Amino acid sequence: MRGDDGVGPWLAEWAEDRFSSDLTVRVITSQQWTPELAEEIANTHSVVFIDCSIESAPGDVQISVVAPTPAAPGLATHHIGASELLALTQELYDSLPRTALQLTIGAGSTDLGDDFSSAVKAALPEACGLLEQAVNRLLDKKQSG
Amino acid sequence: MSQTITIDPVTRLEGHGKITIQLNGQGEVEDAHFHVTQVRGFEKFSEGRPFYEMPALMARICGICPVSHLIASAKACEAIMSVRIPHTAAQLRRMLNLAQMVQSHSLSFFYLSSPDLLLGMESDPKTRHIFGVVGARPELGRAGIGLRRFGQHIIELLGNKRIHPGWVIPGGVTEPLAQAKRDEILAMMPEAYSNIKLALDWYKQIAETFRPEIEVFANFPSLYMGLINEDESVEFTDGALRLIDAQGSIVEDGINATRFSEVIGEAVEPYSYTKFAYYKPLGYPEGSYRVGPLARLNIVKTMGTPLADVELAAFKQLANGPVQSSFYYHHARLVDMLYGIEKIEQILSDPLILDKHVRATAGVNRLEGAGQAEAPRGTLHHHYKVDENGLITWANLVIATGQNNNAMNKGVLQAARHYVKNGKFTEGILNRVEAVVRTFDPCLSCSTHAYGQMPLALTLLSPDGEVVDRLTRS
Repeated sequence: MRGDDGVGPWLAEWAEDRFSSDLTVRVITSQQWTPELAEEIANTHSVVFIDCSIESAPGDVQISVVAPTPAAPGLATHHIGASELLALTQELYDSLPRTALQLTIGAGSTDLGDDFSSAVKAALPEACGLLEQAVNRLLDKKQSG
Repeated sequence: MSQTITIDPVTRLEGHGKITIQLNGQGEVEDAHFHVTQVRGFEKFSEGRPFYEMPALMARICGICPVSHLIASAKACEAIMSVRIPHTAAQLRRMLNLAQMVQSHSLSFFYLSSPDLLLGMESDPKTRHIFGVVGARPELGRAGIGLRRFGQHIIELLGNKRIHPGWVIPGGVTEPLAQAKRDEILAMMPEAYSNIKLALDWYKQIAETFRPEIEVFANFPSLYMGLINEDESVEFTDGALRLIDAQGSIVEDGINATRFSEVIGEAVEPYSYTKFAYYKPLGYPEGSYRVGPLARLNIVKTMGTPLADVELAAFKQLANGPVQSSFYYHHARLVDMLYGIEKIEQILSDPLILDKHVRATAGVNRLEGAGQAEAPRGTLHHHYKVDENGLITWANLVIATGQNNNAMNKGVLQAARHYVKNGKFTEGILNRVEAVVRTFDPCLSCSTHAYGQMPLALTLLSPDGEVVDRLTRS
C-alpha cells in the first residue's frame, strides 16, 4: 500500500519460495518489526533483516552486519530498528544469533500504491541475488559449526 | 488573563490525539479537553459495497483490534442474512476474540503503561518505555512479550494471519480448527498462565504506591456498560448489554444489537472527531458511561472461570459498589487476560471444537442488521442498512473509545485541576495527564502507528499568543 515500503515483504516472499525445501530457513513477514520478534531471534543461528530504506539512494541495494545498539530516546514500540531489536533480544534472553545481517533497498517512492518505483523494480534481481548468496553462506557456516 | 496548555500529540496511545488545558487569570485550570484529531470516514466509503465484504473492510479500521471489528461486522451481516451460525463457529470466534483481547491488553499494560508503573510517573522520559522496563525487570518484559505472542499466535493459527485475518465471514468462519492447531495452542497454556500470574502479583504489589493517582485519575461516579451472559458472567462475543449506575443498580439489561440504537445516542462536540455516546433516557452528557475492562468487571457477578473468579472477588473488594477510578482499568485488564487464557482452554476442551460444520449460508433476508462484541477497549457496535441487492446504503459504528470519550475528558480535567498549580507544570505532570487517557487504552482509529517517535510539546500561551512556557519531548 505504500509503494516501495512493500519491498521487504516481497523479498521475504521470494526467499520463502526460494528456500522452501530447506526446513532450517524460516521466513517471518511483518509490516513492522516489533519486540515480540526478540524471542524468535534469540533462538536462531543467524538472522537477515530485510527492509526498504529512505536513507539510501533509490534502488541502492546494501547488505551489512548489524550489531546490537541500546534503545534511543523516544523509541517507538510498534516499530524498532534491527540493531535495537538485537539489543532487546540480548537483554531479554541473554542470547544473540551468531550472525545478523541487514539487507536494504533504497526507496524511490513510498506514496500510496501497490506498485514499486522503477528504481526498485530494476534493483530486485540484484537484491534477490545478494539475499540468496547471504543465506547460502549462512547455511554453509551453520553446517561447518 | 487566560492561558492554554497544549499536549500534542499525546504519546503511548493507539492513534493521534492532543490535550488542551485552559487556565484562568489565576493560573488555575478552568477546562481541559482530549481531542481526537484524525478523521477516517469508514462509514461513508463503505456505502455501495456488498454487505458480505463488510467484515474484511471494517477490520482495516484497526491493526490492534481488527478481530472485534470482524466479529461485530459479521454479526451485523448475519442479522441481514437472518442466520444463526453453527455452535463450533461461535466457539472458534469467541476464542479468536479472546486471543485478540490478550494480545491487545498485553500491548496496553506492558508496552504502554508499565513504564509509568514500574519506572515512575516522574522518571526520565528518555528511558520510560518498554526497553526501560526490560532493563529494570527483564522477567516482566518477557512476560509481556510472551502474552502478546500467545494472543497473536492463536490469531495466526486460526486466521492464518496475525493482523487482519480474513477467517471470520458472514455465516461463521472459513475453515474448521485442525487438531494439530488445537494441540499447539494447548501447549502454550502453561507459559501463558505463568506470565499472567507474574503480572498480577507484581501489579498488586505496586498498585497502592499510586494512591495519589488512583484518587484523581478519572475517579468519579458514572454509568458502566458491557456484554454479559444470562448467568451474569462476562461475555466478549455474544450475550447482551447491561448498563449499571454508579451504585451498581441495573439501569438497562438485555440490550441486544437491535435495541442498541433505541437506548444509546451519539453527541458531537466541536473539539473532537470522535463522537460522545450516551444513554438516551438520561440525555447528554448526564447519560455518559464507561465501557471496557473496568466496566466489564463492574457489571458482572462472575467471570465464569475459576482463577479469574478469585481475582474478580479481590477486585470487587476495592470499593463498596462499582470501582470508580479509571486507574483500576490496569487491574481489570489483567483480570480480563487471565479470564481469556482460562476461557480459551475451556473452549478447546469443547467436544465439538473440531467439528467441520462452521458456516451457514444465506442471502439478503432483511434490509437492516446490527451486531455487537466486546473489543479489548469496550463495547463495539456495527449497524448496516442494505438495498435488495445487498449493497450497503448506510452504516454506523459506535466504538469503545467514543463510549469512553466523556469520561476521558472529565478525567483529563480532574487530573489537570489537581496537578497544574499557578499555571506551572513539569514533565511529570504532563505525563500524568497523558496517563489518565492511557488507562482507557483508547484506540483512535489506528490502522497506522508512529507513536513514540513523534515530538511532544506542551506549550503555555498567553491570550495574545505569546509563549509563556514550553516543555518539549523528542
